[in-house]
Amino acid sequence: MSIAEVLNGVALGSLLMVLSSGLAMIYGLRGVTNFAHGALYMVGAYVAYSVGTRLSFWVALLVVPVVLAAVGVVLELVFFRRLEHRSHIEVGLVTFGLALVGERIVVLIWGERTLSADPPSALSGSISVLGTNYPTYRLFVIVAALAMASALVLYLSRSERGLHIRAASHDLETASIMGINVDRVSLFVVALGAALAGLAGTLAVPYVSLDPGMGAGILITVLIVVVIGGVGSIGGAMVAGMGLGIAQTVGTTISPSIAVVIPYLALVLVLLLRPTGLAGRRAA
Amino acid sequence: MTASTTSTHDLPAAVEAPAVPASTSRRGWLIGAAVAAATFGLGLTVPFITSDPFIMSLALDAVILALLALSLGFLARHLGLISLGHTAFFGGSAYMVAMTTTHWDWGPMRAAAVAVLAATLLAVLFGALVVRASGMGFLMLTLALGQALYSLTVQTSSRPVTGAFDGLQVSYPADARFLGLTRAEVGDPGLFWPVAWSCLVLAAVALWVVGRSRFGTTLEGIRENEERMRFSGYGTFVPRLIAFVISGAVAAVGGALFALNSRFVSPELLGFATAGDSLIAAIVGGLGTLVGPVVGAALYIYAQSEFNDSGNLHLYTGLALILVLMFLPGGITGGLQRLWRRLPIGARRGGGR
Repeated sequence: MSIAEVLNGVALGSLLMVLSSGLAMIYGLRGVTNFAHGALYMVGAYVAYSVGTRLSFWVALLVVPVVLAAVGVVLELVFFRRLEHRSHIEVGLVTFGLALVGERIVVLIWGERTLSADPPSALSGSISVLGTNYPTYRLFVIVAALAMASALVLYLSRSERGLHIRAASHDLETASIMGINVDRVSLFVVALGAALAGLAGTLAVPYVSLDPGMGAGILITVLIVVVIGGVGSIGGAMVAGMGLGIAQTVGTTISPSIAVVIPYLALVLVLLLRPTGLAGRRAA
Repeated sequence: MTASTTSTHDLPAAVEAPAVPASTSRRGWLIGAAVAAATFGLGLTVPFITSDPFIMSLALDAVILALLALSLGFLARHLGLISLGHTAFFGGSAYMVAMTTTHWDWGPMRAAAVAVLAATLLAVLFGALVVRASGMGFLMLTLALGQALYSLTVQTSSRPVTGAFDGLQVSYPADARFLGLTRAEVGDPGLFWPVAWSCLVLAAVALWVVGRSRFGTTLEGIRENEERMRFSGYGTFVPRLIAFVISGAVAAVGGALFALNSRFVSPELLGFATAGDSLIAAIVGGLGTLVGPVVGAALYIYAQSEFNDSGNLHLYTGLALILVLMFLPGGITGGLQRLWRRLPIGARRGGGR
């Protein structure tokens, strides 16, 4: 186990952190598992690819989260809000349908072949970390994702809007009785969750190759991360995402056949020993 | 949250629609038996109506998918649980047929019987892990367990056993018999049809009987209010587990039939896409009725034959899923049921089914 392997795990874990915190936030507020989260990540990656090859990676890093936030607004207004009184499962399955449609639209626009892009010139090459040469871009992914995650945690714990989000996730009804505009909070959270997925997608472009199955592939891991972390808990999702990313990457270097079952094994273990997840609260 | 009880808000409206009579009268049983016998007889005539092998193979595909969709519908209808992991029993059973015939030289009859049994045992194991969960938790757990089996199957070190991404042939001697059919006859959709159709009708009847029995009433109580059932002195774990295993067994029968007929299994059978497709078929057809998933499966196979060439199948199935969930809860059969109740004759019979 070398430093590079551990750092690879941290890089994967960082992406999982950003993705799963968005999913956990939407779940906490809407009670809906957003099966379209993987598709949002994929759409983000493809849009970032197009923007990146035409303009620059840095423009994509700014534009894509905004574009995805707009998609999140549509998701909230057209689907989540209209279906608010329906069962959570049905809304979840609607997002599943959206993911299928989104995946196909991506294929129709960008084609089925695998795409890849180089990191921006400022981040190409490698840096020596404790005597090991490590790709600069991957370090950037780690730094950007960790910065994003800490900013999100600070925002949720310190700002007034963050307080509203936490209150609404805890108990939507009481929060709205206490005068919190739940609709506005929810709109914000879904847009933010989608923007985070877009950010993760953008960061992924020079790191992994793009193919139309990338969304569905990562979705399952992210769902597992969220369940392990304690459904609806953002902190739990972050810790579980990082832990799983490292465990899986390092595990692969030791034994690939054991590594693939690590997420599932972890899930089953956590649910047997601690059914509400690592940071789980008792469900209402 | 995975250990939470079923709150009413977690229950899909798609499965709230039916008001299944708590107990069925002697007349009800007779009508049911008559309908089943008539459906069975009518279905057997299908190979005589069409001799087009393409249509026959589509019909057979529909019946096999219908078994998987039926198993999902049973869980949804009686427990309000939506599973994305039944591919483990469907695909697991298919793989068992392939592995036992290829590696151990078993005959098709023994392979199929053991495959269904093994997949049912797998359902006991998975069920014990997941049936305490409800709603979204159940959905995610079944998805994770199903995908775990997929990952184990496709990894390189499993290649000698499962063939990894290449899949596995179902190879047994050409003259070995399955219910009197030779290997070539099992592969012929028209000749294999009576076997598959009988399995489907038998499974549907079995699920109908279970649903109307005392056990079915217990399940309904658990679906409506799990906590109250526990406080009333009913164990809820075992009934849930039994229902899960019954449902898994039906999916396993479908998988075994698939493997025998196509003589080839691939990881796709265990994949996320198959889980999603079968669930979409069940939902679009209607989870609230017994025949809904069967109707959905037939429609899905039709759509597949229409749109697969363009590769846009999932565009349309995704749209169908969204539209049905948003505007036609209860699916196609649920919509027809509501229409029927509005007609004078339907209303007079008190919305009987």
